[in-house]
Amino acid sequence: MMRLHGGLRPALATAMLLLLASCGGSDNAGPTPIPPVGISLTSTVTVPANYGLHDTFVRDGLAFLCVWDEGVYIYDVGNGVAGGSIDAPTLVGSVKTVNGNAHNAWWYHSPLGSKRYLFVGEEGAGSVGSSSSGSIHVVDVSNLAAPVEVGSYTLAGAGTHNFWVDEVNEILYAAYYNGGVVALDISGTLPANMASRELARIQPGGAGNTYVWGVMQYQGGDIFASDMLSGFWRLRYAAGAFSVVGGGNNVPERFTSDLWVQNGYGYTGGWGNRGTQPGNAVKIWQVGAAAPVLVDSVITSGITTVSDVQVSADGKLLVFSAENGPNAGLHVYSLVPSPSRPVFLARYLVSQGLHTATVETIAGRTYVFAARNPANPALLTFEITSLIP
Amino acid sequence: MLLLAALPATVRGQGGSASATIAGRGILTGTYASREPLGGDLAKFQLVQPMLMAHAAAYGRALRVTSTLDFEAWTIADGELTIAAWGEGFVDRRHPHTVVHELMVSGVGHLGGATFSVSGGKGFAAFGSDDPANRLTLRYPVNHHWSQILERAVLTGGVLAGPVMAEFSLFNGDEPEYPQRAPNFSRFGDSWSARLTAFPVQGLQLEASYASVQSPEHRAGFGTDQQKWHASGQWTRPLGGHPFYALAEWAQTSEGDGLFVFDSFLAEASWDLGATRLYYQFERTERPEEERIFGQPTRSVRPHLEDAILGTTRWTLNTVGVGRDLLAAGGVVRLRPFVEASYITVASSGAGVFDPALWYQGTEFWGLSLGMTVGLGRMAFTHLMGRYGVSEDVLSRISPSHQH
Repeated sequence: MMRLHGGLRPALATAMLLLLASCGGSDNAGPTPIPPVGISLTSTVTVPANYGLHDTFVRDGLAFLCVWDEGVYIYDVGNGVAGGSIDAPTLVGSVKTVNGNAHNAWWYHSPLGSKRYLFVGEEGAGSVGSSSSGSIHVVDVSNLAAPVEVGSYTLAGAGTHNFWVDEVNEILYAAYYNGGVVALDISGTLPANMASRELARIQPGGAGNTYVWGVMQYQGGDIFASDMLSGFWRLRYAAGAFSVVGGGNNVPERFTSDLWVQNGYGYTGGWGNRGTQPGNAVKIWQVGAAAPVLVDSVITSGITTVSDVQVSADGKLLVFSAENGPNAGLHVYSLVPSPSRPVFLARYLVSQGLHTATVETIAGRTYVFAARNPANPALLTFEITSLIP
Repeated sequence: MLLLAALPATVRGQGGSASATIAGRGILTGTYASREPLGGDLAKFQLVQPMLMAHAAAYGRALRVTSTLDFEAWTIADGELTIAAWGEGFVDRRHPHTVVHELMVSGVGHLGGATFSVSGGKGFAAFGSDDPANRLTLRYPVNHHWSQILERAVLTGGVLAGPVMAEFSLFNGDEPEYPQRAPNFSRFGDSWSARLTAFPVQGLQLEASYASVQSPEHRAGFGTDQQKWHASGQWTRPLGGHPFYALAEWAQTSEGDGLFVFDSFLAEASWDLGATRLYYQFERTERPEEERIFGQPTRSVRPHLEDAILGTTRWTLNTVGVGRDLLAAGGVVRLRPFVEASYITVASSGAGVFDPALWYQGTEFWGLSLGMTVGLGRMAFTHLMGRYGVSEDVLSRISPSHQH
């Protein structure tokens, strides 16, 4: 079943649930000029347009902004280390990683309590679907005010994209586009050359049919991967090797983008145009069985790409960012009462589009840290607490 | 210069020490394309290449000014219907050029048997072949961004010694973002080019060029860089007693540390039978495919968000045309009606997700243009953009004009 959202007033969203659920196959086209009720902009942090902000990792009240050739900016958004707050973020430190193109990051907290390492993904040049470039950079953030790069991992012939870290088992899983998925041992003190830390890699769709956008571990177990070419996969890492549990070759009509898995369901976005089909879908998968089972889709008119997908920690909100079209911006859905049937709540349109949206709870309130695209790139922080059902 | 350019035709200063010439040109054309992005066909009537050209010289031509104003910003704001053309955010449309297309000041001197020149201003870097506006076809070649570097803040030094000319240019790497956009002067000197040209016999020109261009598609300078090669041979001697011109050129641009390599080969020829010109052009050129703007299949996303492309396509074009000079015998008004037809095919080149067969709903294209080139002023059809200083002086060794 495929359902679509449009310009429903968020205040009426709950009452409209049944009506929305019956809207299968229709499309509510075009932007609707309604105020984004329930989404409030709390702060804007502008960044240089080189090319701008790509992703933001938030933890312990610190936001790590990946600002392409400017490197990584660390902002206090409530930690207090630099007197910052969610309303008035304060720069703590920054680092320019080698080669620039800082795209994404993960601040690793080890089981022993170390918070020394920040992993930064470099997104180099590539041809979508076939080639890519860019390394994983290891940054020592022991001194947050003066981080320093201490190592890197490079996979010849491929470039990295999004990460997930199994912090209990000290393994970094990296989406590696045409290189597939790579597992790295990140335990202990890391060497300058991380090549020796490679544990395993896999091209789930096989050579020529693999271009992995993102990975995510679910409940400490299996790894889910979104492959732009071959769709949504369930993988398993065990005994030093990856294996395919199920899925794959299940989204033939669109390029798959980001993913999130929670509540027993997976959510995958779409990217660009596959032929003439825009990536304007969030697909919903049941992940209880070996292979993900498609159960629903949310189609958003007036966008080309769902650039980031996340479910809030409480499992009640589905949030995604969108690019390239009149409905580009932030979109929020309720996963109550059913995580398999999202209900539209609100959206905040941003004409340049949002490249990523990171949902985080700080001091009991729920925020989205969103990357506004050039020409005037910025970190936009939205509060969405009032939308939680 | 502006004062000189404002003069109505040709004015010579006292004693012939200074001169100024002005001319105007434009092409009224109706163009049909049998296949468009997402399918369907399209016909458009447009005024393209409306230009005002001016030359001024003083001190026995030791000091020269060359300028071209281009008004395409107003006549083809959405681009000229040209399947396979690309660049500056346009796809399958030839983008409008900047209003101040070139404004160059040159100083020329002699030392021994050699001639030296220094030229500066906004204009063409010393690289590649003459601009397509100065050549045969109405249709701009796909390789325009591989075979020319233009509309930059540029400083060029040249030396002509016997049959050899060497030129070196410093310029800003960024391409214009829109017709009113000035070069990013803060980036002047981040890119350079060199061109070596030989004239071994009358009518034959052999050329080789190299350019290192920093971040041409990201104005601030943080995009991928290009290394560009170009080589060509040009022949201009009568054939069967009638003026004949032929050009063959090869170009290669490598970008992203060699991750992307785009090749081009083009050959063209014309034969003038009295006032009638027959011409033909063959081209095979690769172009990058980028994400299109929502609802605008002929525009690509700007500014760039990252350094990825969707793939590479290879375009093969055969273009044939015939034109006829009217009112050309010594007058200042010239008319050249023409008809031009193209047969085009496209294929994927290498890997990537862009599938031209899906995007265009086919891979074969026909194009037809009917039009009239209107020139006002004696140099309306002889002004060659991009030639400054010594490069202008070598025109006597080749045919001065093959313009459409």
